[in-house]
Amino acid sequence: MTLLGDQFRPGTFPDALRFIWHNAGFLLARTGEHLELSFAALGIALLLSLPLGLWLGHRHRGLFLAVSVSNVGRALPSLVLIAVGLTILGVGFWNNTAALVVLAVPPILTNAYFGVDGVDRDVVEAARGMGLSELQVLLRVELPLGLPLVIAGIRIAAIFVIATATIAAVAGGGGLGEVIVNQASYGLAGVVGASLCVSALAFLTALLLTLLLRAFSRRPDPIS
Amino acid sequence: MIGVLASGGTVIPNFGQGSSCEVNNGWFCSEWVRAHWSDTLQPALLQHVELAAIAIAIGFVLASALAFAGFRFRLLDPPIGVFADFLYTIPSLALFQLLVPFTGVNETTVEIALVSYTLLILYRNMLEGLRSVPPDALEAARGSGFTRLQTLVRVELPLALPAVIAGLRIATVSTISIATVAAFVIPKGLGQPIFTALQQDVFKTEILTAGGLTVALALCADGLLVLAQRALTPWTRVGRAA
Amino acid sequence: MIRKHTRRAAKAAFAVSLGVAIVLGGTATAATQHRAAAPTIVIGTKNFTEEYVLGQLYKQALQGAGFKVTFPGSFGSSELIDTAITSGKINFYPEYTGVIVLDLAKEKSPKTAGATYTAAKKFENTRGLTLLNPTPFYDTDSFGMLTSTATKLGVKTIADMKKVKSFSFAGYPECRTRITCLLGLKQVYGLTQAKFVPLASISVYTLLDQGKVTAGDVFSTDPQLGGTKYTVLVDTKHIFGFQNVAPIVSQKVLTAAGPKFAQVVNAVSAKLTIQAMIAMNKAVAIDKQTPAAVAAAFLKANNLG
Repeated sequence: MTLLGDQFRPGTFPDALRFIWHNAGFLLARTGEHLELSFAALGIALLLSLPLGLWLGHRHRGLFLAVSVSNVGRALPSLVLIAVGLTILGVGFWNNTAALVVLAVPPILTNAYFGVDGVDRDVVEAARGMGLSELQVLLRVELPLGLPLVIAGIRIAAIFVIATATIAAVAGGGGLGEVIVNQASYGLAGVVGASLCVSALAFLTALLLTLLLRAFSRRPDPIS
Repeated sequence: MIGVLASGGTVIPNFGQGSSCEVNNGWFCSEWVRAHWSDTLQPALLQHVELAAIAIAIGFVLASALAFAGFRFRLLDPPIGVFADFLYTIPSLALFQLLVPFTGVNETTVEIALVSYTLLILYRNMLEGLRSVPPDALEAARGSGFTRLQTLVRVELPLALPAVIAGLRIATVSTISIATVAAFVIPKGLGQPIFTALQQDVFKTEILTAGGLTVALALCADGLLVLAQRALTPWTRVGRAA
Repeated sequence: MIRKHTRRAAKAAFAVSLGVAIVLGGTATAATQHRAAAPTIVIGTKNFTEEYVLGQLYKQALQGAGFKVTFPGSFGSSELIDTAITSGKINFYPEYTGVIVLDLAKEKSPKTAGATYTAAKKFENTRGLTLLNPTPFYDTDSFGMLTSTATKLGVKTIADMKKVKSFSFAGYPECRTRITCLLGLKQVYGLTQAKFVPLASISVYTLLDQGKVTAGDVFSTDPQLGGTKYTVLVDTKHIFGFQNVAPIVSQKVLTAAGPKFAQVVNAVSAKLTIQAMIAMNKAVAIDKQTPAAVAAAFLKANNLG
């Protein structure tokens, strides 16, 4: 395997930048589609798994579920999920959204569980002793303390979802992946350009969530 | 063979009919699986194993070197961690295509990308493992007169092993999963049958079989590593019982 | 006395050795020249069914004729496989004449199939490549729809679509700006009411089946066109251009391989009619036979294997 292939064409990068420049509106529209799909999936995944994970962690029940969901979820290849989604639901918005939800649930669920489960039991007992209801204990004590891990899980889910939304283009998902999988139409310059765009999108999202994580990691102990 | 004489004297032989399950796109046509195991599914499976194995091996070696560096020279840790995280954030398909202008459309490109994705998990876990060695164990080693190297080999590495294998499990499963995307670049691995099936009006049997094989492969690899961990670190089992 | 004998013997031995060496050397050179005269044909294809079948047809025919052939597999789109052949990674692949003229040479579409072939050949000759004979079949874009839709709308030719108030047309992204596709529909046929729906790896037929589009860009050798479920409207103004297949081969390899090489390839190409291609595409895509098996059966039935 020679490292620099006989197809070494670094000149593709200036071409790619030119493609982005000339097709800015088009790429912006694709980015919008990409975000729409990603947010929809992430939102649904949060609705489904965040409350569940938090509650299970609070009750210290379902460790096996949390770990297994994580293990199985990681073993599900994104391309397979997209293809199966297409097989079951046909072409449209929901086949890809469903596939992305399946991908996003494990990290959110698992991290929500461990985030809450790992909170110092003494602190929790103290809160209970102060007369807080179970729900109040969860929301006012455990969640704030477990937030870093919870947000870390959401961050991982967001990265997975944006990455897989790229592949969803083969199942009618549109987005920036639409360009990347259609080399025949957009040329290598277009493909590289769109790849740069989607990478930038992923970085920004990850950065935003990292900043959010840091912000919540510094919160003082609410019981003090 | 019944031939159909078309214009120009071309004979169109009877190529054989697909089974009714195949022609009507049934959920699982076992006759298709049996007929195409050796020409489609098995080669794809072997290619997939090869792609993943090379990536994990190289990733393991690289991550080990980086983890040692980060462990010995604390200042190196943040930059290495950030770089690995940076690579991890890039969507796999995008990373493949970004490498193509440099390394071409071949296995090298795919392997470089797959290795990049293993680095973050393996690096973090190995570093964590090395750092989690209890100071008492180190003290005991020093007290017994171990050299730096002996301490490393006979105390630190074995105690770091659970974390290392945990990271290896995650990296292996992820790599097997991501390697399906390699089919976008080169016609290899279990992603390729899925691709072909998508082109052929979403042929369900092929998608479900290739997909199932990928998941099975990942779970098998995970299982093997769990067994390896139990074999290599018997004291962890004793510890739990105590 | 002995020295004289030895010297004569030595001279004789030397002469004999020299003679043997010359003879052996001559045979070896002749052998190497003969071996060099039969280069390895490295065949590539693009990544869809028809190309897989074509690749197998030429590969098996050449192997049957005694040539050494390697088949590294598919290389993706025209852009990628073009790089592969110009960089020498492969030296033979089946290409569509229209694609060469429009996409690679970036020229306008000629008016006849023959002119397209000539223009394509001229272009490839400037790059050290050349074309062998074209096939009878062509694989052009076509205006396809469900037969039920065509009956309902009462249309037989593309020009008939003018009376339809509004309709959606699915196609690959580049179709939108091509005079040989959507642009041609709008400008040459005056179908300004067409709404374009871009595809991305989902088959047009899937969209037609699910009722998501009225019509779509289908290809003349699609296996689905072998039945009666779908129908193709007649392109009376020939906007879709001409797309016969002609194998691109490196000029060096062509000369080195000898006349038999071109004979074998052209013999295969001559048998490839539209019906044959549709049948072979159907066998792979719908009846799930492998391209290799289908190619083998076809070659055998036509005495080409």
